[in-house]
Amino acid sequence: MLTCKEQVARSSDYLDAQLTFRERLLVRHHLMFCPNCRRFIRQMRLMQATLRIMPDEPVQDADALAERLAAQRRKGV
Amino acid sequence: MAAADDTHLLERLLKGEQRAYKELVTTYQSAMRAVAYAIVGQRHADEVVQDAWLSVVRSLARFEGRSSLKTWLLTITANAAKGRYKQNRREVLLDDLPSPHGTIGDERFTPDDGHWAVAPYAWHQDTPEALLTEEELRDCLEHTLLSLSQLQSSVLVLRERQGLELEEICNLLTLSLSNVRVLLHRARLKVFATVEHFEETGEC
Repeated sequence: MLTCKEQVARSSDYLDAQLTFRERLLVRHHLMFCPNCRRFIRQMRLMQATLRIMPDEPVQDADALAERLAAQRRKGV
Repeated sequence: MAAADDTHLLERLLKGEQRAYKELVTTYQSAMRAVAYAIVGQRHADEVVQDAWLSVVRSLARFEGRSSLKTWLLTITANAAKGRYKQNRREVLLDDLPSPHGTIGDERFTPDDGHWAVAPYAWHQDTPEALLTEEELRDCLEHTLLSLSQLQSSVLVLRERQGLELEEICNLLTLSLSNVRVLLHRARLKVFATVEHFEETGEC
């Protein structure tokens, strides 16, 4: 059985599907019996989703850049 | 593989349609910047992105759709970055800088049996939208992202915000899979600690 500390150390690999079949079973088994670690993984996923939807900084001067690139293309440079 | 959207956009780009370029720039520039930043750092990232755009325009006609448009653009960016600056970052590769709210470190577990000594605090919000309605948390997250090392932050951005596969990140940044995994994990634990701190104390 994994300890909580070991589970946390494997959590990113678990989320990214980088664990072997056996390691994955060990993590699942631990999660089944450990509410704290279930909460940890759930909140890790929530953190990931939060990063995903954070608004991007708008691109500076997108119009000017687009104009320049389009002109460049039309010139065939 | 290039999506149907890519093909349509590409036709418009080849015709030199300005709106198509605007679309290209607004969709992909953040990802390109993250790649450039990872390789050459803050000071030169913008120049590299500019260089990359010019070579994108020059090689558009040669894009064959064997990869997605995004992968192609990021590869050009990585090449522009690598061509311009010799990589001298090997020794700082796994540099781990202190983060404003720490991380989920050893002190969170009991030394004898590895159980949680301080259990993860239950967050009040359970959707990302709800979390982000707190403007202060947004600022706080940005602050933490800025505190990460160049590579930790780039790998995190490319994975979580740009949705790249680990393997793509390895190829673009010329990093081993195990290094990418370590960088990503450390970055995530720091961001986790920031959200936890905010949820627990209501302040940054």
